[in-house]
Amino acid sequence: MEDLQNQNQKITDKIREISTQLLEEKEVDLIIGYSDGTFPLSNLPVFIREVDEVEKLIWNNLCYVNLASYLTSNISRFIRKEESEENLKIGLVAKGCVARTIIQLSLENQIDLNDIILIGINCNGIINRKRIEKEIGEREITNLSVKGGDIIVEGKDFEEEFPFDEYLMELCKVCKIKAPPQLPELSENIRGDSQDISDLHLNFDDIKEFEEKSPEERWEYINDLLQSCTRCYACREVCPFCYCNLCFVDQNMPQWFGKTAEIPDIISFHLIRALHLAGRCVGCGSCSSVCPVGIDLSLINRKIEEIVKERFNFVSGADLTTILPMNTHDMDDNQNFMLEEEG
Amino acid sequence: MVEKKLEKIIFKQDLDRLFEESLKDFTVYGPIEKKGNIVFEKIDKSDNLKLNYLNSKIPPKSVIFPQTETLFEYEKKDDEIIFKESNNVGKKRIIFGIRPCDAHSFTLLETFFSFGKFEDDLFLKKRENTILIGIGCNTPKNTCFCTSVNGHPFKDDDVDIFLVDLTEKYLVTPISDRGKELIEGISWLNNANKNDLKKSVELANNAESAIETNLNLDNISEKLDNNFYNSLWKEISEVCIGCGTCAFLCPTCHCFDVIDEEDHYNNRGRRVRIWDTCQFPLYTLHTSGHNPRSSRIQRCRNRILHKFCYYPQNYDLIGCVGCGRCIQYCPVNNDIRVILDKFQKLSEEEEEKLLVA
Repeated sequence: MEDLQNQNQKITDKIREISTQLLEEKEVDLIIGYSDGTFPLSNLPVFIREVDEVEKLIWNNLCYVNLASYLTSNISRFIRKEESEENLKIGLVAKGCVARTIIQLSLENQIDLNDIILIGINCNGIINRKRIEKEIGEREITNLSVKGGDIIVEGKDFEEEFPFDEYLMELCKVCKIKAPPQLPELSENIRGDSQDISDLHLNFDDIKEFEEKSPEERWEYINDLLQSCTRCYACREVCPFCYCNLCFVDQNMPQWFGKTAEIPDIISFHLIRALHLAGRCVGCGSCSSVCPVGIDLSLINRKIEEIVKERFNFVSGADLTTILPMNTHDMDDNQNFMLEEEG
Repeated sequence: MVEKKLEKIIFKQDLDRLFEESLKDFTVYGPIEKKGNIVFEKIDKSDNLKLNYLNSKIPPKSVIFPQTETLFEYEKKDDEIIFKESNNVGKKRIIFGIRPCDAHSFTLLETFFSFGKFEDDLFLKKRENTILIGIGCNTPKNTCFCTSVNGHPFKDDDVDIFLVDLTEKYLVTPISDRGKELIEGISWLNNANKNDLKKSVELANNAESAIETNLNLDNISEKLDNNFYNSLWKEISEVCIGCGTCAFLCPTCHCFDVIDEEDHYNNRGRRVRIWDTCQFPLYTLHTSGHNPRSSRIQRCRNRILHKFCYYPQNYDLIGCVGCGRCIQYCPVNNDIRVILDKFQKLSEEEEEKLLVA
């Protein structure tokens, strides 16, 4: 395995080089990328408008926010040009899942691909911060770095190593699309790395163990998983696909859903949100990365991805031509969920 | 006249005795680990207590101001409606092991909930029946800035009793009258000696110098007030995703919503108060459909101004205790220290740059 630090430096250099070019040649008005945060384990999304700010852009294994979130309609008014109605041209630092989000959002008619240039990078994975924090417990982390194939966590009087592959986000461990997918309709939009996805072999072995559990056990898992949710909606707000003007859970005239932090209300929110993401979620894992109480929604996301793949043979964000399975009805759709299970 | 020495000592192995014998009339809440997060929950024994914690994830305000609180329940029987009011107001509580920053938040919350004509009985009665036993913060985090907002890792004037972790034992200092009364009633505590006091002072000094952030907040209230329309707010809110993490983990945020839930099928219902935050658009949405804080710029600004401008103007207090939770857990690292610093450093020329519309 190539040294992670080297990989990150190369990716950083490439991001800066392409960004400089895009800004200098006025191909874009704005670059959205990642920058160093203000303390270890943090990462700050940045909006770069001038060439001399390009040095702020970095890549490391903590760049967990799905930057496409900044493009969806909830937020776009902040980046639209003030007086003219014309959209800004945006350069977006895009790992595989961010590019997939752009593809999916374009299919959902939320963004215009003509406005967007993807600064494609071959993502080498995002560290599971919450898991590292749990392992370190009530000790202050003063530095986190990667070296070789390890994560090195330093504190005032300790230094611990964690194998990188094991401490990745669960969705990164099973990710098959690391860089922007090569689609004919997207070729004009990509600078930098891209990936041939014509030979994509998806498998869902990672959730087999969960699927083999009894319904009671699975219910127990969901209950237990969501216990500490504070309904801060960080998962929803960071999600590029949660762009509804008014979320179902915020409907209050009349009220559609319970608003308390009691477990039935919490579960209603998360499971219905999950259903709304069917055929759309690209598995970027941002929701799990940002959760302040460390709830990992990966399993739910994966299960939905699997159902959509099995029933509709659709992979979100890997296809710019198929009509979205949840936006259409076909008599031949695999709808066996509507029937009683046999035997 | 020699003043009676008040400081006591309790050995760590005697904590169970303290809970079982001396504090048995109280419901005691302390920092424990639950699903990987430190939270304040009811404790009977010292077994699970995590007193060497950095700070809790969920602030201890939740003990007397929980995220979901039933105000009353009702049941319809024939022609009668039977009300059942919240009955845990009189419960005698102890919050054990609260950090000085969080203890100070209780003072701020009390100020808010008792301000003006309408006192919040529910909160204030619970507060009155709650004894705070604080513990000095030996190892502040790199996101801590209590010393910049009139606090200190060993500030003890917001608690009733103050503890200092001296490795194998705790130094116990009664602060308030009821703290003194409680300590005097525990006959088996030993007196502290000079070395204990000396060590405590050393720890306090070390903790203070461990805090790296030193914010200049001189005239910050005026500065923010004068720059209400500054274009900097656009830059600051650009990265914000609009979630409620900062508010829900904040020990001083106190906004709430009141909702009625009716169970038609069973002829009963309840009125519940839940946490709310100015970061959500729904918070300010009028029935008419108008929203005075319809943009994220306005909502981001409100949170900062409430703590550093309106609180000083209304109560002569800073509405922030410097615990650093909003910094630590913000999904996009929108660091409040950086925001305040940017306003403090605005040049005259930059002060002229205003938001468009």
